[in-house]
Amino acid sequence: MAATGAFRERLFSAWVEIRENLGRSTLQALGVMLGVASVLGGFSISDSQRRRSDELFAKIGGFDKLNVQPSEAIKDGTQPSALQNANLGLRSDDASRGEKLDMKAVQGVSVQKFARARVRSPFADQDRQITGVAADYLAVNGYTLDKGRLFSSQDVETAAPVCVLGYEAVSVFFPTGEALNQVIRVGDIPVTVVGVLKEKVFRFRDSQGNMFAWRNKLVALPATLVAGRMEGDAYHRLDRVVFKIPDINVIEKFSESLSAVLKSSHRQQEDFRIDDIAKRVRKRRSQGDVYNLVFMLSGILSLVGGGMVNVNIQLATLKERVREVGVKMAIGASGREVFKEFMTEALLLTGLGGFVGFFIGVAFSKVITTVLEVPLYMDPKSFVWAFLLALVFGFLFAIYPAWKASRLSPMEALRYE
Amino acid sequence: MSAIIETSGLTKVFGANGNAVHALRGIDMVVEKGEFVALIGPSGSGKSTLMAILGCLDSPTAGRYALDGQAVESLSGGALARIRNEKVGFVFQSYNLLPKASILRNVELPLLYAGVSRKERRRRAMEMLEKVGIPEKANVLPAQLSGGQKQRVAIARALANRPALLLADEPTGALDSKTGAEVLGLFKELHRQGNAVMLVTHDPHIAAMAERKVELCDGLILGPEAAAA
Repeated sequence: MAATGAFRERLFSAWVEIRENLGRSTLQALGVMLGVASVLGGFSISDSQRRRSDELFAKIGGFDKLNVQPSEAIKDGTQPSALQNANLGLRSDDASRGEKLDMKAVQGVSVQKFARARVRSPFADQDRQITGVAADYLAVNGYTLDKGRLFSSQDVETAAPVCVLGYEAVSVFFPTGEALNQVIRVGDIPVTVVGVLKEKVFRFRDSQGNMFAWRNKLVALPATLVAGRMEGDAYHRLDRVVFKIPDINVIEKFSESLSAVLKSSHRQQEDFRIDDIAKRVRKRRSQGDVYNLVFMLSGILSLVGGGMVNVNIQLATLKERVREVGVKMAIGASGREVFKEFMTEALLLTGLGGFVGFFIGVAFSKVITTVLEVPLYMDPKSFVWAFLLALVFGFLFAIYPAWKASRLSPMEALRYE
Repeated sequence: MSAIIETSGLTKVFGANGNAVHALRGIDMVVEKGEFVALIGPSGSGKSTLMAILGCLDSPTAGRYALDGQAVESLSGGALARIRNEKVGFVFQSYNLLPKASILRNVELPLLYAGVSRKERRRRAMEMLEKVGIPEKANVLPAQLSGGQKQRVAIARALANRPALLLADEPTGALDSKTGAEVLGLFKELHRQGNAVMLVTHDPHIAAMAERKVELCDGLILGPEAAAA
């Protein structure tokens, strides 16, 4: 049959039928248009949001981190036992133990020690948060060097009096911009500025403030300097150890073995807390899937609603077209042929409606994302989904009227007034 | 000559039980190939029902019917569609052209259903339009034609698949006498070329042009059916 161009003829007749009844056809296709637009719009809004927050997480350096912080071993307010008191908390040994646990998975270890101190330069004198860092802190947290150098391992080992300043800290303590090799006083300790960092910027929406403003306030010293000389802590206890693990799938397993290793080296006390950021990300991801499901459902509902309207109109117009069907049957169209003709028409209408729906959906997403100030991102998958759904429902709802038409008795159809 | 139509004891009952209407009560008739038969009779005599059954648009309630030697009374819907397509050409009083399709497409349609290739369809449809004398109207829509021209198109469409039997139900009923005569002339011409023509009419003048008249009354064939005009 294909060689005779029967399909082409059917398509052409269907097109003529649609063109001749533009108003009615538009009405019939409305459900498909809205359904496709709704699925597409919903998907792309949630995809755009998700991509935006993925970006945020990536910029913070989010997914791929496992945080370890010290925590109280006793939870019920009783006095700590001697065993618990004997523990020294989180130390750099813990960081290196963790790193050795899986050298392949762990890409970097960042170590932090917090303190507050007066920071003085020839231009400013402020009470500041001081971050004692070691190992890969700056790299793991996504800082990039603007001028000078980062800490060497020797700086950390010897607790050298050096510091690296964030963008904002530079502008406060050295408004002239000439910070490198200058000396500032952190508490009582004069330290030399050896490195200056680039500004970190991230805005969730274009009109919002820089969410990373606080990161630019960094005043970083070697952790050993902060713990040893500023706090007088001979054990060099840490406030936070972060393991960077790029492969999100091994984090959970790593977290478990890390917990076991730390516990065994902490006299079986859980005086630390492991915070798996990836777990939160996975949760957020599945929330995104829920939104997609909701949007798909609303799309399906409009497709079902539109489909029923379509069936109604199709059945009503079938009454007008009974005679036409009768004539076609009289000159040799089988019920099958009539069925195919009606299906072709309905599917062509679905296709055209879906096509228009694409544009409505894209426009709709564009408007919403503009309002939300999120860059529009459309996953090709959403187009496929929207079109598949439209096609499936278009097909399902076309069957009944087409079947009805195909079952007409040629005689009665011809006599129909 | 062999028979194109051969029926025996054809009956058709509409409705059931209490209010059954017996449209045909036992028709025995034979029409030879190449014959020109007029089917006459008053309204309600069963002419249209008989035409529908002879044209395979409807199935008889009982009786036997062989069209061109093939028994058709128990064929399925699809097989009947095929026979309508290949063996029967219909011409209706109200033309029944598809209003949204061009004249050429109207004439091509039976060929399309028969699975004829596009090129061949076009060629044969044009040939038929030439035969009925309006090839120049190939690309216009039916609404732009006069009644007589529309009926010519309908005849061209009926002939497109070179059917063995041409059935016409009051083909001149909606035409004025002059164009009616022209259309009838066309039927006579087709008959001369060897087509079997069966024509339903009220008009005794038209019936007189046929080789043979068959008169129906209350679902039965009246009198000596072979009475020649």
